[in-house]
Amino acid sequence: MSFEQFIFYVLAAIAIISGLMMITVKNPVKAALWLVLAFISTAGLWIMAQAEFLGLVLILVYVGAVMVLFLFVVMMLDINMAILKEGFTRYLPIGALAAIAIFALMYMVVGPEHFGLDKIAAPAAKPADYSNTTEIAIPLYTEHAYAFILAAVLLLVGIVAAIALTLRRRPSGTVLYQNIEKQNRTEKSERLEMVKMDAVVEQPAAEDKEEEKK
Amino acid sequence: MIALSDYLLFGAVLFMISMAGIFLNRKNVIVLLMSIELLLLAVNTNLVAFSHYLNDVTGQIFVFFILTVAAAEAAIGLAIIVLVFRNRKSINVDDLDSLKG
Amino acid sequence: MNFVIPSFAPAIPEITLLILASLILVADTFWSKRFQNATYYATQASLLVAGYLVLSSFSVEQVFTFNDSFVRDSFADVLKLFTVAITLGIFLFAREYLVQHRFMSGEFFVLGLFGVLGMFVMISANNFITMYLGLEIMSLAMYAMIALRKYDGVAVEAGMKYFVLGALATGMLLYGFSMIYGATGTITFPEMKAVIASGEADGIVLAFGVVFVVIGLAFKMGAVPFHMWMPDVYHGSPTAVTLYLGTAPKLAGFAMVYRLLYEAMPGLVGDWQQLIIIISILSMVIGSIVAIAQDNLKRMLAYSGIGHVGFLLLGVIAATDDGFSAAMFFIIVYAITGVAGFGMITALSRTGFEFDRVADFKGLNAKNPWLALMMLIVMFSMAGIPPFVGFWAKIVVIEEVVKAGFTWIAVIAVITAVISAFYYLRVVKSMYFDKSEIQGPVEIISPALHWGVSFVAILLLALGLLPGSLIDLCYLSI
Repeated sequence: MSFEQFIFYVLAAIAIISGLMMITVKNPVKAALWLVLAFISTAGLWIMAQAEFLGLVLILVYVGAVMVLFLFVVMMLDINMAILKEGFTRYLPIGALAAIAIFALMYMVVGPEHFGLDKIAAPAAKPADYSNTTEIAIPLYTEHAYAFILAAVLLLVGIVAAIALTLRRRPSGTVLYQNIEKQNRTEKSERLEMVKMDAVVEQPAAEDKEEEKK
Repeated sequence: MIALSDYLLFGAVLFMISMAGIFLNRKNVIVLLMSIELLLLAVNTNLVAFSHYLNDVTGQIFVFFILTVAAAEAAIGLAIIVLVFRNRKSINVDDLDSLKG
Repeated sequence: MNFVIPSFAPAIPEITLLILASLILVADTFWSKRFQNATYYATQASLLVAGYLVLSSFSVEQVFTFNDSFVRDSFADVLKLFTVAITLGIFLFAREYLVQHRFMSGEFFVLGLFGVLGMFVMISANNFITMYLGLEIMSLAMYAMIALRKYDGVAVEAGMKYFVLGALATGMLLYGFSMIYGATGTITFPEMKAVIASGEADGIVLAFGVVFVVIGLAFKMGAVPFHMWMPDVYHGSPTAVTLYLGTAPKLAGFAMVYRLLYEAMPGLVGDWQQLIIIISILSMVIGSIVAIAQDNLKRMLAYSGIGHVGFLLLGVIAATDDGFSAAMFFIIVYAITGVAGFGMITALSRTGFEFDRVADFKGLNAKNPWLALMMLIVMFSMAGIPPFVGFWAKIVVIEEVVKAGFTWIAVIAVITAVISAFYYLRVVKSMYFDKSEIQGPVEIISPALHWGVSFVAILLLALGLLPGSLIDLCYLSI
């Protein structure tokens, strides 16, 4: 077994074990962390398949943004651990049997019979100045420009949807919000009223009272 | 040497783990969402492997778009989970039963 | 690098719709305080502009652009026009519903408009990536619209269930796409057809991929045995959103089925035809039988929708040009009927009173005979009773499947149609012969909605009397 194969099997094993741990642990925070480990080892596999850009993007974007978002939400929800029920082990024997049967079926289709080394040869190593980024970038901005714009639209829809669903404003009795346009639009007449008064005001009533008292 | 079938079998195993996570999971809606992410990871691994062995970069570009969409989908899924939690104070899948099947 | 800038002209409706939707999104933040209905009118205007642009560039030739990722042909144009027409009706009914139930927000219309953009992209897609992106834009908009009634636990739960279902379906679909890409080496539909026809691709891997693609498509269309949570979703979501869910995406879903199964992989018809036969029969049987037990009208219409998807797949089974034309006619008719049916429920619901149980329609004839007549037209059309257009839709699809040699399936289809007629007629019977349980008058709040419901219902009658032009249009488009 060559070194390359050894690394492949180690990384694949880590990813598969992390996946299994993710669906079995009770604590959702730990499950998220196991998923992060699965992603990182899969990124290693992708780099072995010479998709360096995608491997790094997987770590930066998926682990760095999406999984962090998962962890934020899990922390924010403040789940009561004691309530989470078990029930997984009931299905384990049947599940394992079904899994092995399906795996045998899949092995017949995607196994070495159809995709082994004799059918599809390992590709030649890329030259030293090969840049995976350039090779992805050029078709992305030229052939697939339409899809690129659509991906941007999709992200916009995601933003609008997420904010429309979760934004809460406190009721106006408890929190003051500023409305800058309204502030800028106020007229002097709404805030200030000029009242005409004389410069000197006589005090005849007080003098009369003083005279009456005397 | 690593054959294409090794990558594809790895993808198939991840696919099955994610199916197990989706159908056997009764505890936790968040684990449901994470199983779906694992499913997309299996698909992406398939595409990267095919792209490598067929010498065609289109597979990697497809993966690029799937990553983008998966991120947006995860955001919306989590927003909906937050709403469910605000209404129900629980993320147990079995508790989502106010609509009879 | 010799890159030629592609021609933008065929995609003008999509580009315009995108620009208008983004402008409305921004403008909504400014004008929503002072002018309550401005977003609604702007949305309807954008839809009209998009529809006009599609109509004005209507032609029969097939045009590819954007490096073969976009196709514009008459099939796409017809479906886009009907999508615009149906969405105009949906927004008309939805606006009053939103005001009555107090979750009116500009985002509903903006998300709906982006959903329509997603549908346009799906209808015109010519490779896997574009198809997937269109599907996801439409789906993300819909997940959010269902849960937009944030303080209603039932709606949010329906949103969660639809999200899980949709994400799982997309995952299956993508797994199939990856296998087909691996076997053929291309993602563009015409190239795929050529590679499969030349026999270079591995048959077993292709079959494996097609199975996953069909499973994903069945999830999306809501066909048995992947219909698990669809009735829950239809029941739980606000009726205006059920109206959106049950009508317009079916057109885009049919376009996806046509492009994937018939344009990209006709050579694999042996693989997908068997699967579609099983799915179709199961959908028709379960859709007709389980609906009998439902007492919520939205759930009943959900199961009837499942049955109708089974009928739609009959045309797909035929796997010929005429078969798909028949299916196209069927889905357009079903979408219009869905607008009428769900629109009636939406229009009748008021603050605090959802009006979605079958029992609510009891004695409607005594209270409001015109509405009862409209509901009668909708129910008869769904049951497939002449002279309403539903009858022609069912006849055309059954005829195509018989021509393809599957007479036994046609027999099952007719039997399930007769069974399903039972629950439609039960609603009609309770309208005309039972005593109403509702105090006070039953009427539609705003006159615009009254006209809307009447127009759509009478359209069903008119199309039923003169179906020829629509049928011809469908047959010409494929």
